[in-house]
Amino acid sequence: MTDNITYAQPVRGHRRVERRLAARARTVAEAYALLAPSLAGFLLFLVAPIFGVAALSLFDWNLMGAPSFVGLDNYRELAADSEVWRAVLNTIYYVVLNIPAQTVLALLLALALNRRMRGGKVLRVVFVLPWMAMPVALGIIWSWVFDPRYGAVNQLLGMVGIDGPNWLTDPAWAMPVIASVNVWQYTGYTMLILLAGLQAIPHTLYEAAAIDGTTPVQRFFMITLPLLRPSLFFVLVTNTIGSFQIFDTVFVMTQGGPGGATDVLNFHIYQQGFQLFRSGYASALAMVLFALILLVTAAQFLYFRKRTVYDFS
Amino acid sequence: MRRIGLYLALFAGAAVSVAPYLMTLNSAFKEPAQVLTTRAWEPAFPVTLDNFAQVWSEYDMAGFLLHSLVYAGVVTAGQVVFSTMAAYAFGRMSFPGRDVLFWGYLATMMVPQIVTLVPLFLIMREFGLIDTYLGLILPTAFGTPYGIFLVRQYFRTIPKDLESAARIDGAGTLTVLVRVLLPLSRPILATLATITFITTWNTLLWPLIVTNGDATRVVTLGISALKGQYSSQYHLILAAAALALLPLIVIFLLFQRHIVRSIALTGLK
Repeated sequence: MTDNITYAQPVRGHRRVERRLAARARTVAEAYALLAPSLAGFLLFLVAPIFGVAALSLFDWNLMGAPSFVGLDNYRELAADSEVWRAVLNTIYYVVLNIPAQTVLALLLALALNRRMRGGKVLRVVFVLPWMAMPVALGIIWSWVFDPRYGAVNQLLGMVGIDGPNWLTDPAWAMPVIASVNVWQYTGYTMLILLAGLQAIPHTLYEAAAIDGTTPVQRFFMITLPLLRPSLFFVLVTNTIGSFQIFDTVFVMTQGGPGGATDVLNFHIYQQGFQLFRSGYASALAMVLFALILLVTAAQFLYFRKRTVYDFS
Repeated sequence: MRRIGLYLALFAGAAVSVAPYLMTLNSAFKEPAQVLTTRAWEPAFPVTLDNFAQVWSEYDMAGFLLHSLVYAGVVTAGQVVFSTMAAYAFGRMSFPGRDVLFWGYLATMMVPQIVTLVPLFLIMREFGLIDTYLGLILPTAFGTPYGIFLVRQYFRTIPKDLESAARIDGAGTLTVLVRVLLPLSRPILATLATITFITTWNTLLWPLIVTNGDATRVVTLGISALKGQYSSQYHLILAAAALALLPLIVIFLLFQRHIVRSIALTGLK
């Protein structure tokens, strides 16, 4: 529309603008109508509770009677609580047992499967099969597999003359056994994501590098690993966030024992909040877990940003 | 020679992936004494259904499974419908506040679940929804940020021309969504439904907090209570675990193509 026409037919021009505004208003109304249910759920069941927990962490409240405002007392108490420090360290120990083992195994599997081979598709499905299992059921199954007398692990060890430990009642072994459930469950899932990343690397790069006389090991470190960084970054960040929230297997297999050896933060929060009904203290602990996750995620972002070219489109 | 080594390693890995399932199923068919006297991998003989019959009749396993089916079924239906609606608004329409809201949704994906649980419990208590299906279902039934993100990303890959053509023919927003986009989005909706159902079926923490009675006890609570009570009676708890896993395995095998592809895609963004 040129100025000319606008001036020549001002009335119609106005109508056109009005009509366009009406259409725009309708679009906006429609968009919010489509959003309404999810937005209501989002605000009421996600955003409000996040602000709520921050507020609650400043109160002392046993869920009965009136909450009393205590300022930062909950945070002072948890900073001096040796059980909280143990839970933080246990959680970090679990993540450290879990993430490197799972990521390295997944990367090796992905490299092995990144070729045309008979049965490759079936193998992929088999490796992902553990991913959908119910952690509670796995906790039951693992308790049996690692049972000192009736479990498969000690029966296998017995065949080669090794007297296996009492896995879940031994403070040194309980956490590694619980971590092994998660490694078993998520290695295939992580492998699939890494495999997709591997398949996105152009073949020509490898061919060119081979012509230049590089060895396979050189090609892995100079082509594969750098180009796989976005996928690696993704699995590390998401799996780490997930691992910090370990609960189900601890709940079923050890209840935090033996002697607090598997008392992780999530389980500690659950006990404080819903067994001892210290909702203010539990909220403060939840804030600590949140802060811990934010901190670790931010560190991963900073570490990878320096080395990854990102396309955020 | 290297090829053989590779295959051997892969098959060993595959065996480890399925061994716990197979041994569990195997032992669930053994007689109680045999679970203790035979090795875990020795085949069940004679085969018995008594363990399943016992968890079924004495421990209301049918009830646990039914309650989980209602919980996971309703949450899945809600997630698919409401995530699709929101994903259309975020992915295909422009309106003030869209980007802020969308980033808000994404940001909450980093928040650990436990953070919201104490306030969520208080909200449900305020509305008198403790120990009800509504209390179980409400927090996740309106679509999660993850579901909305997944569908939105898919919608953005569908060419705009298809939509414009329908609009010129006079189709409204709802018609475009239902007639044009949904038929093209079946794979992603199947994926979202499968993942939501599996996740909800497997959830322990929220049901543990918001329910306590028999009427709404879901299968995760049912079998973990069984484990607490009969931790050494492996014939019982393994049969219960097998029953809890069975629906998942069926669903997985039916939808494995969608699942495998969608997992692969999540990493590529």
